[in-house]
Amino acid sequence: MEVTAAMTREAQKNRQQRKLLRTIWKHRIFYLFVIPGVVWFIVFCYLPLYGLTLAFKDFSYAGGIFGGKYAGLTYFKQFFDYYLSTDIIRNTVVISFLKLIIGFPAPIILAIMLNEVKNHAFKRSLQTISYLPYFVSWVVVVTLLNRLLTTDGGPVNEMLHSLGLKPIMFMGNVDWFYPLIIGSFVWKTIGWNSIIYLAAIAGIDPELYEAAKIDGASRLRQMWHVTLPGIRDITIILFILGIGSLMSAGYEQMLLFKNPATEAIGSVLDTYSIEAGIKQGRLSYATAVGFFQSAIAFILILVVNRIGKKVSDVSLF
Amino acid sequence: MLRKFSFFSITNYALLLLLAFCMVYPFVYILAYSLNDGLDSMKGGISFWPRQFTLENYIEVFKDPAIMNAYKITIARTVVGTLTHLIVTTLFAYALSKRTLPGRNFISFFIFIPTIFGGGFIPYFILMQRLHLYNSFWVYIIPALYNFFHIVVMRTFFQQIPPELEESAKIDGYGDVAIFLKIILPLSGSVISVIAIFMGVSHWNDWFTGTFFISDKNLVPVQTLLQEMLTRSEALLDAVKRASQFGGNTMSPAGTQAVRITPESLRMAVLAIATVPILVIYPFFQKHFVKGALLGSVKG
Repeated sequence: MEVTAAMTREAQKNRQQRKLLRTIWKHRIFYLFVIPGVVWFIVFCYLPLYGLTLAFKDFSYAGGIFGGKYAGLTYFKQFFDYYLSTDIIRNTVVISFLKLIIGFPAPIILAIMLNEVKNHAFKRSLQTISYLPYFVSWVVVVTLLNRLLTTDGGPVNEMLHSLGLKPIMFMGNVDWFYPLIIGSFVWKTIGWNSIIYLAAIAGIDPELYEAAKIDGASRLRQMWHVTLPGIRDITIILFILGIGSLMSAGYEQMLLFKNPATEAIGSVLDTYSIEAGIKQGRLSYATAVGFFQSAIAFILILVVNRIGKKVSDVSLF
Repeated sequence: MLRKFSFFSITNYALLLLLAFCMVYPFVYILAYSLNDGLDSMKGGISFWPRQFTLENYIEVFKDPAIMNAYKITIARTVVGTLTHLIVTTLFAYALSKRTLPGRNFISFFIFIPTIFGGGFIPYFILMQRLHLYNSFWVYIIPALYNFFHIVVMRTFFQQIPPELEESAKIDGYGDVAIFLKIILPLSGSVISVIAIFMGVSHWNDWFTGTFFISDKNLVPVQTLLQEMLTRSEALLDAVKRASQFGGNTMSPAGTQAVRITPESLRMAVLAIATVPILVIYPFFQKHFVKGALLGSVKG
């Protein structure tokens, strides 16, 4: 009895395997579509991931990513011994934290404001205009800001002048550095990021608003009790994603904004890693800095994702 | 109807209009500045329109071989990069959208991992050197071929197409490739155009690759050139010097006026040309954005 059972199980397994092979063969054309992509992801995403091991090795050009002598935690130690490392970490956290607490709610507020606009054409044009900055590069934004804010005939300072105020040197100014970074970040992303909230608001059942109105809720009350709960889930997901980038201050913007005058408060992990690697040629050291950054970001995502799951059953994975 | 003009509405409209002004004004100002006589602009006082209208700044931009070459590179990489990206992304996403494809979950997971954990700049930099992409035009194209989010957006879109369509096409004797080309692609215009504009814009706007992976001046794109103009003024001075020689050689009264272009006015003209194509194109795709953004947020 047992022997025959084992045999039928064996036969079944064989049949399943053959069936799988047949399905695979039937899909051969689709594998052909996928294989170049899989190779690409291995080369351009997984090889650099493996390249992180450089942080624990002495990099040599001859050895490349795979070679090099084991160096343990030398380069991590070097970074933490570096007298500016606490400043760099602090700058990174401060800038990305400010971006999160100001840049995260801003598009939600915009979406709610836009939602209150009943004239369709007006709403649409406002939306189109608000996306505009999202589509220009950081180089353009920084060049624009330089021109607008210069004391050399820039319109902002001319306005200050006509109001009887003293001209302000905005760019390269330690006092104005963070406001400009955060301000330009919000300016560039607010419209675009509001799209998803607007779509979520549009998906709220209109009957809920009717019911709230009958209960005598004012428009502000409707927002609080209907609109905000209605976009809660998507907000949590986006917040988790936002936390994940808490260790990254936005390297493009930072690289472009920073200058010698603002070095002390503008040097962040991203820019420091690039500078140490490219300008000073300390590749293993720079990789260690980048590794530290990615690792913390990863841990942050895991932790926040877990919290999101606990609080509201919403999670990324 | 009076409710429409409540305090709440008025404040809301006023704030939104103010915001719209902040979004648009910088571009209006740049346009005015770039269309104004350079020397005159230095006096300040330009706010909404040019005071001494001239096309001189733009003419100088179009005469400068370095700037024109940068535009050529930018246009070439945008066209080639966007097309290749669309081809490989649609194919990849279409395969993943097949629910019967063995291993599709694994592949999805495999391409998702790099979005939460990456190697960072230095390993990537070494990789570019090893692959001989450093200082090659292909450094703009190949590393940008695939993108997880674009694949997910397309896959989700393809999955929404009713499978009955494909089944009936199969009965009519269509093969997998024919179904893809003749049934699926014609239905996917909106999602393809969204990805096309995302990719086109990201190619057009990219200065990072040109700055860190290119040292050959002939391969520098516009945004990188603009970034160099921002940090260094040599490039500008060269152009202005040439303009002044040109003005000085013609001994006409116009020539004695010599150069009316300043580095700043030239920079603003380059900035305008680097921006205008995008500003013209993106509103046409607006109606698709919501769909694209929504599909992109549906993960897993």
